[in-house]
Amino acid sequence: MALSGMRGLSVFISEIRNCQNKEQERLRVDKELGNIRTRFKNEKGLTPYEKKKYVWKMLYIFMLGYDVDFGHMEAVSLISAPKYPEKQVGYLVTSCLLNENHDFLRLAINTVRNDIIGRNETFQCLALTLVGNIGGREFAESLAPDVQKLLISSSCRPLVKKKAALCLLRLVRKNPDVVNVDGWSDRMAQLLDERHVGVLTSSMSLFVSLVSNNHEAYWSCLPKCVKVLERLARNQDVPQEYTYYGIPSPWLQVKTLRALQYFPTIEDPNTRRALFEVLQRVLMGTDVVKNVNKNNASHAVLFEALALVMHLDAEKEMMSQCVALLGKFIAVREPNIRYLGLENMTRMLMVTDVQDIIKRHQAQIITSLKDPDISIRRRALDLLYAMCDTSNAKDIVEELLQYLGTAEFAMREELALKAAILAEKFAPDLSWYVDVILQLIDKAGDFVSDDIWFRVVQFVTNNEDLQPYAALKAREYLDKPAIHETMMKVSAYLLGEYSHLLARRPGCSPKEIFSIIHEKLPTVSTPTISILLSTYAKILMHSQPPDPELQNQIWAIFSKYETSIDAEIQQRAVEYFTLSKKGAALMDILAEMPKFPERESSLIKKAEDTEADTAELSAIKSRAQQQASNALVVTGQQPTNEPPQVTQLGMVKIPNINMENNHVDQEVAQTNGITGDVEPQNADILGDLLSPLAIEGPPGVSGTETLSEDGALALAPVGEQENAIKPMVDIAERFHALCVNDSGVLYEDPYVQIGIKAEWRGHQGRLVLFLGNKTTSSLDAVQAVILPPSHMKLELSSVPEVIPPRSQVQCPLEVVNLRPSRDVAVLDFSYKFGTNLVDNKLRIPAVLNKFFQPITLSAEEFFPQWRSLAAPPLKLQEVVRGVRPMSLGEMANLLNSLRLIVSPGLDPNANNLVASTTFYSESTRSMLCLVRIETDPADRTQLRMTVASGDPTLTLELKEFIKEQLISIPTASKPPVPQQPQPTTQPISSSDPGALLAGLL
Amino acid sequence: MPVAASAIYFLNLRGDVLINRLYRDDVGGNMVDAFRLHIMQTKELGTCPVRQIGGCSFFYMRISNVYIVIVVSSNANVACAFKFVVEAVNLFKSYFGGAFDEDAIRNNFVLIYELLDEIMDFGYPQNLSPEILKLYITQEGVRSPFSSKPTDKPVPNATLQVTGAVGWRREGLAYKKNEVFLDIVESVNLLMSSKGSVLRCDVTGKILMKCFLSGMPDLKLGLNDKIGLEKESELKSRPTKSGKTIELDDVTFHQCVNLTRFNSEKTVSFVPPDGEFELMKYRITEGVNLPFRVLPTIKELGRTRMEVNVKVKSVFGAKMFALGVVIKVPVPKQTAKTSVQVTSGRAKYNASMDCLMWKIRKFPGQTEATLSAEVELISTIVEKKSWTRPPIQMEFQVPMFTASGLRVRFLKVWEKSGYNTVEWVRYITKAGSYEIRC
Repeated sequence: MALSGMRGLSVFISEIRNCQNKEQERLRVDKELGNIRTRFKNEKGLTPYEKKKYVWKMLYIFMLGYDVDFGHMEAVSLISAPKYPEKQVGYLVTSCLLNENHDFLRLAINTVRNDIIGRNETFQCLALTLVGNIGGREFAESLAPDVQKLLISSSCRPLVKKKAALCLLRLVRKNPDVVNVDGWSDRMAQLLDERHVGVLTSSMSLFVSLVSNNHEAYWSCLPKCVKVLERLARNQDVPQEYTYYGIPSPWLQVKTLRALQYFPTIEDPNTRRALFEVLQRVLMGTDVVKNVNKNNASHAVLFEALALVMHLDAEKEMMSQCVALLGKFIAVREPNIRYLGLENMTRMLMVTDVQDIIKRHQAQIITSLKDPDISIRRRALDLLYAMCDTSNAKDIVEELLQYLGTAEFAMREELALKAAILAEKFAPDLSWYVDVILQLIDKAGDFVSDDIWFRVVQFVTNNEDLQPYAALKAREYLDKPAIHETMMKVSAYLLGEYSHLLARRPGCSPKEIFSIIHEKLPTVSTPTISILLSTYAKILMHSQPPDPELQNQIWAIFSKYETSIDAEIQQRAVEYFTLSKKGAALMDILAEMPKFPERESSLIKKAEDTEADTAELSAIKSRAQQQASNALVVTGQQPTNEPPQVTQLGMVKIPNINMENNHVDQEVAQTNGITGDVEPQNADILGDLLSPLAIEGPPGVSGTETLSEDGALALAPVGEQENAIKPMVDIAERFHALCVNDSGVLYEDPYVQIGIKAEWRGHQGRLVLFLGNKTTSSLDAVQAVILPPSHMKLELSSVPEVIPPRSQVQCPLEVVNLRPSRDVAVLDFSYKFGTNLVDNKLRIPAVLNKFFQPITLSAEEFFPQWRSLAAPPLKLQEVVRGVRPMSLGEMANLLNSLRLIVSPGLDPNANNLVASTTFYSESTRSMLCLVRIETDPADRTQLRMTVASGDPTLTLELKEFIKEQLISIPTASKPPVPQQPQPTTQPISSSDPGALLAGLL
Repeated sequence: MPVAASAIYFLNLRGDVLINRLYRDDVGGNMVDAFRLHIMQTKELGTCPVRQIGGCSFFYMRISNVYIVIVVSSNANVACAFKFVVEAVNLFKSYFGGAFDEDAIRNNFVLIYELLDEIMDFGYPQNLSPEILKLYITQEGVRSPFSSKPTDKPVPNATLQVTGAVGWRREGLAYKKNEVFLDIVESVNLLMSSKGSVLRCDVTGKILMKCFLSGMPDLKLGLNDKIGLEKESELKSRPTKSGKTIELDDVTFHQCVNLTRFNSEKTVSFVPPDGEFELMKYRITEGVNLPFRVLPTIKELGRTRMEVNVKVKSVFGAKMFALGVVIKVPVPKQTAKTSVQVTSGRAKYNASMDCLMWKIRKFPGQTEATLSAEVELISTIVEKKSWTRPPIQMEFQVPMFTASGLRVRFLKVWEKSGYNTVEWVRYITKAGSYEIRC
């Protein structure tokens, strides 16, 4: 560089270098910057020499990491200087200080273009380098033709051509349209004929970029690429200066191989043969040598070749050769190669038929799991995970479990998760699965997420055969002196549910089970205590007739925790205590868990989420798809229960008024849980699993809502207190009453009463909302907005802004039912009283049964219809558990009130009910619906229900609707609103199920 | 008492360790590398004196060209650690004869090691009083003026000194001329808005004393502070003298001051240590006499020009004068050219501090000086946020002036032999952080 002449610059640099600390350096730099600013501002202007000197200083300061935000003008102006030293610094500083988006660059375009089309080779190089480094779209548009001309001109020296190719590459990346595809493909082919390896390498870079955009246009270049490869790999026809450790230009080889991967296939058999010959040579000719650099170069080529082989889906023989090669690599000592070997094997798994060959290396891969290098261990784990299938799952999972004991902490969580997934996916039998997971929890409890043990519980609950085994296993683990908390949770849960199945075994009497669990109580954390309390309640329930001693012990514990500081525990204790005093009723309430709905394993989802490496991700995904059919299916429910309307369910979930909020969520969560839906955001597995755990009898009983998220509601309506104005009626209860009746009060608070009156005709309905102002002043800013579900058309006539004192406004509401659905329309009602803004979301009782027209059928009419609707999805059957116990008569009344007219005597069995109705909607017109309910006189909490209709959606919706009515009357579960007296003091209307249940309690 | 240090390092500005001492083995020997890498070689240096890196806390301070770094790994008493450093530096200074820098450390390795052994045990600070330590660490510093004739002094009973009631003073001192020097040094901290209203103002002051007194004298100091005066008038059953009284906040005394007597009689009485020491420190927040008024006007004319006018008025007595007045008028970072006119002193653009540095060597009382400058800015490519206008900073020293108005009313010396003493009192006010927004 021409620094020798610039004394000021060298002095400055040496001063900077002599600075003893950062602070001194900064002071010196600031001083210099001040000086440069003064110089640049000088009116007299600078001599070219001075300008050059100060721009150099600026560059030096910039390179030291300081902000230089002025002087770009000077730098750019130097580009147009006639002399090389100034031009050079101008180009250099411009490309360092500016990026492609700077406006200043526009000033330079013209100068740069002049240099490019000029005759001076050096200037051409400088200009091309600048454009190649910081050229943007504007450069691309104005300079691309010139650069192309340079690239194909015959008079240019290779030096310029190389730079031109790379410059064009940059421009193409900025704007792919600058290269005219039609004309250029031939020229590209010509360029690939180039003998000069340097130019060829640059052109190949350009080619890779072009082909990646559009491979169609460049078919003609394909044979040329193969020729290049032949020249390099077979003939080794390369000048000495382009070989690297004896390998002919590895960079060019890699680029060519990469370019070939952009073509989908190679059809021409000659080309194909030639290519495969080259690939064969590369695969065979590569070996591991001592020299690291040589290794790196040759392996770069090799792995690119492997990728190409995989891409071309070569013959099996070649594949197995590849795998053999990789197998050799993963046994090598050099960690980099081993890493690449493992990684590529994982990638190879995407190609279907090599799995068996890879399996031969299983032992070696497992050894890699013990490698000192963590990244290799991770790759090995990924590979094992990806290669696992039913045949080797047992070995691999066992190996993983063993490794879990010694693995470092960073990996354990992933390891545990993967082991759990593999065990779930490829379990040869369920008891093995339970064994594995329990072992997993035992060995790595801290790293086992809750999902894993939830999953075990789901499996066990859904597979009756498994229950005694699992309970036994859990019991065995409890004998261990130290036991992990997660293990404690799962054991307690399983034993609570199923310990009665073990009752005859030694050491498994309820009392013994209780004592062994209770022993651990002092060591566990608060959430686990809640589970233990549930377990105690269950044990108590199962020990019938009650053992007084055990009972007293458990009662003592409950009463001890009644004063627990934790609201959840306190509530459970209080409720279990009260419930357990009820004697036999406990049986019904704490009945066995219903089966869980089938759902996608959240573990697999989680694993997919946590995958970071895209390559593995795709491999794992492809494997997951392959093996989806092998995956275990949680049995227990028909797959027809997939409700199609997720969004509609979501609709109801908009938060209702404070009080109803939790409650509706709860209900949605329940319905979701029962119908096997995708999980809504807050009803996660924990919710699903623990909510029935708290109490799994009729979900309407208070226990359901004691679950952690709703704890506040059941205890003290904390949420309510925010809103100064409380509804005076139980809104949920009113809603349920109005589902059955056509007129009544929907909502009432100290200021407003909303009444409703409805008429229904076929699929249409006309409701009138009566908005009444109870106060002596007017209500302002009254707003009523209907949030209709998708299956209904609702039109509310305008609501006046102000309701005058002591008066009532009527608002007609037109309803048209389009399709069968259980979703509910919501009325968003708000008004202002004084300064209080009251906002309520009320469900409108335009529910499914409103569109029923009762019809009574004789046996002759009924049975042909019943038989013609033979199979799902038109006829659905389900065993409903946890039904609120009621007599046959009550049930008939309930059905009748829902306009499902019971036809007595149709069914020969007196314990069964048969009902029929006609459903109206715009899509289905009138549709006959038939329902049959078979009850069990011995167990009132379960029944079998069969629903049939001419429309699959309708059948499903109706079935779910009836089920809801039979099991979930959540209103009664709530504590009464403060102003309201106990529900028991109210007259119990037989048609109001909520009140009915409240009366029972 | 909590631990103050696990290790102490003395580094030069480049980060080389000059000397170090590990007191506890809970920090590794290479911790100082972390300090060098994460603090010294980054812009963090000087921003915060306490930093935590990798579970260890680093307390550091710079004294001339030496960084003193204390490393602790436990929950240490930070204030104690810093106090320890300050006291240790004072100790070294008194051994080396005033200077504490890299060279002084290099020249006194053995002495420093010996002192470091003595002044801290297992991370707990020990006796740091130079008077005491000099009794038994007799190794001389290179230029120690204090023990100029070490041989003629008998080796006194060191243990008696350490445990005795008057630990800070040896018995049997004799001077031909009995003199006491009293320096009252105050520094004014001010933050003023551009409109001239005071946003924050306080004075921190200290009374430094240098005693050359024979025997075991008992001294009594009277100031014009409010509590002392009230108490006095109460004792003498006289009405409080009219005149200015000062309310002192946060008074701290040297350990020699008899606190029981201060609490009961509100008088500062003490047996002074020999030589120089800091008798008391105080703070005043009300009734501060500001020595200077500053009236800035800064106009930004367009994007590339600025006009700056600053007027400084001295408001102390006309007979007094301020020395070493420096006024730093901030200008934007992209300043290119300046032309400055001043009525007195000299002003120059300082690029590394982004300010106009106006220096006035001697500034008489009740006068004023003005600066007017035109500043040209260079245009930059990125549109900058408007200039933040940092405050104008000022440095000065005003001898014989106290911003608090504190005066020494009397200094009584009482000794058995009843010699006469000569008392000298000096006052000086300095600028602390004296800032005026513009």
